Amino acid sequence: VRCQQYPPLCALQASAALRAPSDEHKKEPWASSSQQHFDSPPAGHQPEQKPQGPHPSYTGQGGQESEDYESEEQLQHRILTAALEFVPEHGWTAEAIAEGAKTLGLSVAAAGLFHSDGSELILHFVSECNTKLSELLRNEQKLVQLGEAEKKPIDEFLRDAVEARLRMLIPYIEKWPQALSVLLLPRNIPSSLTLLTSMIDDIWHYAGDQSTDFNWYTRRAVLTAIYNTTELVMMQDSSPGFEDTWRFLENRVADAMTMSNTATQVQSTGEAVVQGLMGAAVTVSN
Amino acid sequence: VYQVFENVAKKYDVMNDSMTLGIHRVWKDILVHKMNPCPGTLLLDVAGGTGDIAFRFINYVRSVQQRQLQRKLKHHQNLSWQEIFESYQNDKFNNSLGDSQVVVCDINREMLKVGKQKAQHLGYSEGLSWVLGNAEELPFDDDKFDVYTIAFGIRNVTRIDLALQEAYRVLKPGGRFLCLEFSHVSNPLLSRLYDLYSFQVIPVLGEVIAGDWRSYQYLVESIRQFPPQEELKAMIEDAGFFKVDYENLNFGIVAIHSGFKL
Repeated sequence: VRCQQYPPLCALQASAALRAPSDEHKKEPWASSSQQHFDSPPAGHQPEQKPQGPHPSYTGQGGQESEDYESEEQLQHRILTAALEFVPEHGWTAEAIAEGAKTLGLSVAAAGLFHSDGSELILHFVSECNTKLSELLRNEQKLVQLGEAEKKPIDEFLRDAVEARLRMLIPYIEKWPQALSVLLLPRNIPSSLTLLTSMIDDIWHYAGDQSTDFNWYTRRAVLTAIYNTTELVMMQDSSPGFEDTWRFLENRVADAMTMSNTATQVQSTGEAVVQGLMGAAVTVSN
Repeated sequence: VYQVFENVAKKYDVMNDSMTLGIHRVWKDILVHKMNPCPGTLLLDVAGGTGDIAFRFINYVRSVQQRQLQRKLKHHQNLSWQEIFESYQNDKFNNSLGDSQVVVCDINREMLKVGKQKAQHLGYSEGLSWVLGNAEELPFDDDKFDVYTIAFGIRNVTRIDLALQEAYRVLKPGGRFLCLEFSHVSNPLLSRLYDLYSFQVIPVLGEVIAGDWRSYQYLVESIRQFPPQEELKAMIEDAGFFKVDYENLNFGIVAIHSGFKL
């Protein structure tokens, strides 16, 4: 059946078929939505149809059958994971991806599957880190629910979560500034922003935040600011064990807590002032 | 087809420049840039007679190798004398290409001869091989090459599907297929101008420069006969390649198709 004849239907079916196996690999719904988000930008300048997945097996040649049973996305996933090992040496580049492909037994030309600036590699890494963080937080929550651990106060929780997430950068810290600049390229901003916001949402979710009001935005903005500034401090921190960074983080979280207290105070003061004025008005009118 | 190229071989490069007003150099540069080869890549350039793609590939790999070397040298700032000494020992055995190689394959002996002469003239000595062969039946083993390119050659192949199957066969798993070829212009205004230029100007140039009106008439007609972008993409997928897509250059006058053996 030629997919050309029914392109929209076929594309839908193909993408549904592709998503089904890859969904099984993902544990967090947030992580999976961000994963698909950055896997969809088309390569090349023409919009491409994707009749993969339900591909009749054309390859009866050589030992290619093993590759047929995994989708392209899964293979790309494996190549990028293998490539991470070579990042400290080669940076976030197509060379690292080529080395990764080599370890999987593929030709170095497979690096051509991705952009030559290494964007996909960085986004893949960020997504993997976020998934790991989610798992960490979920396990902690389970322990608290089982009564085996104490529920942490909010500032300690935030501090630990951000620290855990930033510690994942340590093996790649030398080349991370390069990665940050690539993430800021206009082409990558939608994906990198989605990954960042989903990570922050995750942390607040496990911190026990159920609010859906105005505070939702402020809390996310505050934590995003804390995360980003701490990340930048970490880039140029040369203290042993990054202790300067963690101290900076502690101070910022403390600031945020004070600020929220002040805000509540201002609000209650405001209410008190308004009530005073109302009282004065009533007295005057009498 | 053989006779066409026998006549054309010597004047091939000159005709290319005059017909395309030199833009073909840019197209070939874009092709190699898209390939983005790293040192250690084994390239098969089919129908690559006069070696244009091969030379560009060698230049590219050399510059990548240079950059890597410079990066390594920067790290040398912090090494002990012993380590620096050892790295000099290692560098002596690294050739400037880092084990990359190109095999240029063509069905026509004349084209290969011109290519070899050009290589000598331009000073390309290492990493090049010249092989006589037919794209529909390549004289190579399976799973050998990292990249297979065919620049302006596939429209001259009688059985394109056979050539694609051969390409699939000789590529390593993960290998890449790249095809640079004239294609269809969808913009109607440009298409009219392009037709005018092709049918009126090019055969005349052929007669004047190469003394061969008929070969270039054949050339222009074969371009019109050639399947358009989407059809070629389907044929490449039929041969078993994955992630096939194409990039139009100059509004479709030329297109680069790319596929992977996964």
